[in-house]
Amino acid sequence: MNLDALRFPRHELPTNLEPLRSDVRAFLAAELKGYSPLVRSNSWDGVDPDFSRKLGAHGWLGMTLPTAYGGHGRTALERYVVVEEVLAAGAPVGFHWVADRQSGPMIARLGTAEQKRTILPAIARGEACFCIGMSEPNAGSDLASVRSRAARTSDGWVLNGTKIWTSNAHRANYMIALFRTDSATDSKHGGLSQFLIDMRTAKGITPRPIRDLTGRSNFNEVSFVDAWLPLDAILGNEGDGWKQVTAELAFERSGPERYLSCFILLTQLVEMLKDRASPAALAKIGAEIAWTATLRNMSLSVAGMLNAGLDPSLQASVVKDLGCHFEQRLPGLAQELIALEPTLADSGIDFQQVLGNLVQLAPSFSLRGGTLEILRGIIARGLGVR
Amino acid sequence: MNEAQQILDDSVNRFFNARIDRDFLTRIEASHWDDALWGNLVDQGLSQVLVSDAHGGMGGGWLDAFIVARACGKHALPLPVPEQLLANWLQEQAGLAPHTGVAGLLVAPIPGTALSGNQVTLTAERVPWGRRADYFVGVTSASELLVLDTAAARVAADANLAREPRDRITFTAAPILARARVALPSDAVRALGALLRSAQIAGAAAACLELSVKYTSEREQFGRALAQFQAIQHQLAELAGAMASVDTMAATAAIAMDTRGITAAGRNALFEIAAAKCRASEAVESITRISHQVHGAIGFTYEYDLQFLTRRLWSWRAEFGTHGQWGEQLGQIAIAEGGAELWHYLTA
Repeated sequence: MNLDALRFPRHELPTNLEPLRSDVRAFLAAELKGYSPLVRSNSWDGVDPDFSRKLGAHGWLGMTLPTAYGGHGRTALERYVVVEEVLAAGAPVGFHWVADRQSGPMIARLGTAEQKRTILPAIARGEACFCIGMSEPNAGSDLASVRSRAARTSDGWVLNGTKIWTSNAHRANYMIALFRTDSATDSKHGGLSQFLIDMRTAKGITPRPIRDLTGRSNFNEVSFVDAWLPLDAILGNEGDGWKQVTAELAFERSGPERYLSCFILLTQLVEMLKDRASPAALAKIGAEIAWTATLRNMSLSVAGMLNAGLDPSLQASVVKDLGCHFEQRLPGLAQELIALEPTLADSGIDFQQVLGNLVQLAPSFSLRGGTLEILRGIIARGLGVR
Repeated sequence: MNEAQQILDDSVNRFFNARIDRDFLTRIEASHWDDALWGNLVDQGLSQVLVSDAHGGMGGGWLDAFIVARACGKHALPLPVPEQLLANWLQEQAGLAPHTGVAGLLVAPIPGTALSGNQVTLTAERVPWGRRADYFVGVTSASELLVLDTAAARVAADANLAREPRDRITFTAAPILARARVALPSDAVRALGALLRSAQIAGAAAACLELSVKYTSEREQFGRALAQFQAIQHQLAELAGAMASVDTMAATAAIAMDTRGITAAGRNALFEIAAAKCRASEAVESITRISHQVHGAIGFTYEYDLQFLTRRLWSWRAEFGTHGQWGEQLGQIAIAEGGAELWHYLTA
């Protein structure tokens, strides 16, 4: 076994990024003034197109995209600073989140000139909402067993099948979806392709919102019935879908969102314990502060590796695994230390509402973007035992 | 790590690899010392990493010290190299040339009441390899560094779970060989000892992971290697995550020590050090539990290597502050900053 594969090279953010951080902080302080802690605790489930547009107007979306396509040609580290500030503040990033994090970079890398020209500028402006059509009713963790089919005709593609757990499909302008384009292939991972779908013009695509346990509807079941797409709707290369999706998931698993979802609960807990924390309670809070510092440095290391053109998919899986456990532990710890019931009603105590929201959202943290079981399988492969 | 540090890492690990094995570790648990290895590693400059060129050292920084201490942990080195690194550094910080010989490190701040003129009367607890010391080093509560003679020191031998000497040293009107003001907090020994122990825990954790992967890949049950069972794979993945988290935070603390130090008021490297030792000590539970679990009964025997590592991990978890103690300190910082300022503090 080579332990070097598991190393997280130390990455210090260049100090010249501090002015950028200050600018983002000042913007967020003004912009989020009226946002309650409850609303902030939604972070990347919170959707606000106006906020996304304003962020875009400041040049803080599509930061790494080429300037020729409306992007800003900045580094992954500059984007990292913006993203960690936005998430720590609990800004509503749901409208642009997928587009900015993974769809934009994928289109920039794999898209045709036409796809880049029409879509990337909208992503950078914060006007594009993307959704990801990966899971199906019978293909979740076992993603390669997707059965939705795209059949080639003389003038285009005809799509049939069902996607599920598709966040924001009911409000998205675009979907990037994984379909089987060749069922004759013997290889399970072969014969898959990705499609870039304009949800506003395509016919035969119907999102049906699914209520989640909180009573809200952010994700959907999406049915495709003879949905027609032009030939150039394919993203990247026909048959390369599996390779492309795997690369896409590395983006999805690497960022600061992997440990910041419950950060606001930690801050609320600190507020609640002011003047009345026992030494034992302080020690428990302190252990989570240590985890926060640890995860931030691991996450920074992954960002640095991405920026250097390395492949940190193993390290990203480790961060997500540890980050999920951290995030999912916090509601239980909060409840252990503060004897107030969780609620979404306006009790006058922010802590109760933040807890009420996050305790319910927390189970999703270790499911979205690859379950913990999948991640641990990836780590085990990195250790050479799989 | 830059290229020179990569080379340092490789060469220190090679050095220990060639000299430390099961027989050696078994032998030294009775003798508590090995002149040949100590002489050899002093000759190689391993204990002088933090000593300046002017005093014949390597002129390295804390990240270099981290690399050496991590290798010490990885090989369960039963000699006080991390302690010597720190003692040498402290003397130079006080403007002194490091004394020759083995340093005994006084962990707790020396209270002012222990000083009388140029003499010290004091009982120091759990001094690593105190019985072998040629001189003692400590920092007073008024941030004065003292170098003490062994002549008036009485030793009561004791040890940690790994049978590494942790002796009680009673000084009765012991003469001060050298003294000088040092620009460090009075608990600097505890903090920097915590940093070095974090690095050692990271190294021992890496060795536990390597042993666990190797053993479960070779050992067969139910007709296949243990490592082919998903239940085992996921435990190994958890172990890898624990190791990586300790390693990353300890390296981060070492670099913070190089860039910020612990002298200036306000946000300094003490935060990263506290986070590193808190994380490292907390991680010892899962690291030792999983390593032993996947090894089965063989790992519980004295004949197998794992116990040289896990007994050290259980000892080092408590030395220079437990995760509870460092956690409490971090909790106090968080409360003092307040929830609204917490993010700014973390990113400062």
